[in-house]
Amino acid sequence: MRSYKLYLGFMLLLAPLFSMGKDQAVDLLTKGNGYYAKSEYKQAVAAYQQLLKNGFRSATVYFNLGNAYYKLEEIPSAILNYERAYKLTPNDEDVQVNLQLANLKIADKIETIPPFFLNQWWHKLILACSLTTWSVWGVVLFVIGFLVLIGYLFTQALRVKKIAFYAGICCLALALFCIVMATAQYRYFNDHREAILFSGAVNVKSAPNDQTKTLFVIHEGTKVKIDKREGDWIKIELPNGNVGWIGYSTVKVI
Amino acid sequence: MKLKYFALLIFTLYLNKVFAQGGLDASVSKRTIAIGEPFEISFTAKGNIEQFDPPSFSDFRVVGGPNQSSSMTSINGNTTVSIALSYNLVGVKEGTYTIGAARATIDGKSYRSKPIKIQIAKGNSTSHQGSKGAEPDNLTTGNASDMAKHLFIKAVANKTSVYQGEQITVTYKLYTNVSIVDIAMDKLPDFNGFWSQEVKNDNERIPWTQETINGTTYHVTDIKQIILFPERWGKLTLDPLGMTFLIRQVVPSNDPIEQFFGGSYKDVKYKIKSTPVTIDVKALPENGKPASFQGAVGHFSVEASADHLDLKANEALNYSLKISGTGNIKLLRSPKVKFDPAIEAYDPKVSDQITASLNGVSGSRSYTYLLIPRHEGSYDITPFEFSYFNPATQKYVTLTTKGYHLTVAKGDPTSNVTAFSSSDQQEVKLLDKDIRYIKDTTDLTWSTHTFFGSVWFWLLLLLGPLLFIAAWLYRNWYREHTKDVVRIKGRNANKVAAKHMASANKQLQNGDKKLFYEAVYRGLYGYLSDKFNIAAADLNKDNIADQLRLRGKDEAVINQLIETLDLCEMARYAPVVGTSEQEVYEKSKHIIHAIENA
Repeated sequence: MRSYKLYLGFMLLLAPLFSMGKDQAVDLLTKGNGYYAKSEYKQAVAAYQQLLKNGFRSATVYFNLGNAYYKLEEIPSAILNYERAYKLTPNDEDVQVNLQLANLKIADKIETIPPFFLNQWWHKLILACSLTTWSVWGVVLFVIGFLVLIGYLFTQALRVKKIAFYAGICCLALALFCIVMATAQYRYFNDHREAILFSGAVNVKSAPNDQTKTLFVIHEGTKVKIDKREGDWIKIELPNGNVGWIGYSTVKVI
Repeated sequence: MKLKYFALLIFTLYLNKVFAQGGLDASVSKRTIAIGEPFEISFTAKGNIEQFDPPSFSDFRVVGGPNQSSSMTSINGNTTVSIALSYNLVGVKEGTYTIGAARATIDGKSYRSKPIKIQIAKGNSTSHQGSKGAEPDNLTTGNASDMAKHLFIKAVANKTSVYQGEQITVTYKLYTNVSIVDIAMDKLPDFNGFWSQEVKNDNERIPWTQETINGTTYHVTDIKQIILFPERWGKLTLDPLGMTFLIRQVVPSNDPIEQFFGGSYKDVKYKIKSTPVTIDVKALPENGKPASFQGAVGHFSVEASADHLDLKANEALNYSLKISGTGNIKLLRSPKVKFDPAIEAYDPKVSDQITASLNGVSGSRSYTYLLIPRHEGSYDITPFEFSYFNPATQKYVTLTTKGYHLTVAKGDPTSNVTAFSSSDQQEVKLLDKDIRYIKDTTDLTWSTHTFFGSVWFWLLLLLGPLLFIAAWLYRNWYREHTKDVVRIKGRNANKVAAKHMASANKQLQNGDKKLFYEAVYRGLYGYLSDKFNIAAADLNKDNIADQLRLRGKDEAVINQLIETLDLCEMARYAPVVGTSEQEVYEKSKHIIHAIENA
């Protein structure tokens, strides 16, 4: 009960951050959906893009934007947004289906390796709550844990003291877990390790230099893994294990 | 010598007569042959052959036969049947050979044929002799340019600038003022880039007309009329049409008699080509091209019909689309008609009624679809849209047929179609693939201002440990200072009492007796409470006395203390008589001092 109240208190504290322009954003999303329904995909794209530019992020927006791009036959953009939506909601079937359909329309055949189940569980776990939820719970439990431990310091009765000690330790452990989850989620979203190719056809070089040999050619819409970045060049890896260097400007990170 | 030959001749004639009358004749196609050259030997019998023994062909190789043929002749009611048996032979070795007699039984009589001598020569020098008929060599090939003024072919197109798919009629006209013996069409040109349709001319006679060009009169006729549909745009050239003519030309002669009878003539062969024609084909305008346009150019009308609209499930109906008009009707692509997926639709049957005339290709084409609604319900056959380009108005025209509404009643269960299983269930068919529709959840999150990692986050996170450390430090300090509460209190009791006494002295100086007594009272009580660790609740005179006695205090001091306390209590409610305040003060000090030092 106490923790709930605290949580509520924190939410109230943070509320101004969230309420800022949210109504406006929802309006924008509704407008975009309206354009999409009327097959005015260009306007729909503009509305969704505005929403993202304003700093809002949701799987729905990315998914809808991907759909609009798909209808406009801009497949790389569609794939990029589907991938972003997929990152936010890896278990959404609609996103997976549309991503598969979009991938059928690109030049390079992609053998999608089904994600490792442990990885999948891990992503499910870190995405179980939003980043804010994880971090608020972490902080609240952390504070509660220490308050309970303070109670432990000042109580005399042995039974109460024991209970307070273990309860405090549990709270702290839970808090730590929440903070770890929050950190993992933050890193999951902010470590841009994958990208979609946006240039028609790109020669993949053997070194970060234009003069070197072309190892293979990939085409727009292909998803690549970014291994590292060196200046304007990135080292990419394809699902089949091929590795090479391409210009950073040819891709957009997911 | 001569006699000998004569005698032989007579003999042969005689023999001939005998054998001829005998009814079995032998003959060969060639008497002199080369090695390897085939020839035929045939035996002809008049009447029915009952038995036939061929001679030995040991010096030859038999490559064919016996081949039998029969003929029947009837002269003045007299019918003769003759049967021929033939063998194909090939000479193997050089030399002269004799083919022996064949024996046959004809109509019950036995006959022998005469032997035949064959000479086989080396090589094949004689093999081709006379095999080819000689061509009449009185023909000469003339130079076409010589005849250009007298004989030429003109290709006339009714239009030279058309739209792609628009029909053009090309007429090949022959102009001549010489006499033509024979005409042969070399080859019909392949009209590259066009789809062609020849106009069939029914009447056998070729009508000739007269036309005068530059003062020269020509006989003119249409050789060929072709309707062309350009299949691509750009400048397209019609290949020339080539023809070979046989012209009878008068040979100039000096003989007046010959001249009088018309003179001699010769036939000269001329190869004539028509002039090429260039057609400028314009592309169809992109502007305003309807989505349903499939390349129809001309003038059309479209009509849809269905034979019945109220039917039971699994009954068939015919739905037909009839496109009629003039234009490239033969090149129309099969219309894309979409039926309700619940209706089984078969590929359309196409039937044409198209005629090609000088006015162009016209007629109608109908597409008949066989439809079988498999389930009850009501279905719509959507109106069919047909678009064509009208070159006359240079505009696209879109026609729409009537839509139909089908009412399908429940099918007769007994007339169930064999194609369906008894359970009448079928898999849901996936007709097409498309992306899933957009979502409308509004779970927007503010990505740029997250609580995680903000100053608040870290401050609140620090709050817990800081509070804990503070609490821990406080507890330690507190513990240190409250280790022995009683002792400390006892130690401080004198100080506390002295404080109260000082306050009492102050009240005494001020002359406030009531407050003075209260301060003394409090000082004494507080001192005792602290000194002997007696809770305030238990603080009464008896208890105090007991505690003091327990500690072995002097009985006189105890009595003094009780007295003083009584006095102070009383003084709070009533004025004191018999003793001065100064005295009470001194007494109290004395008591405290006494307890303290005892």
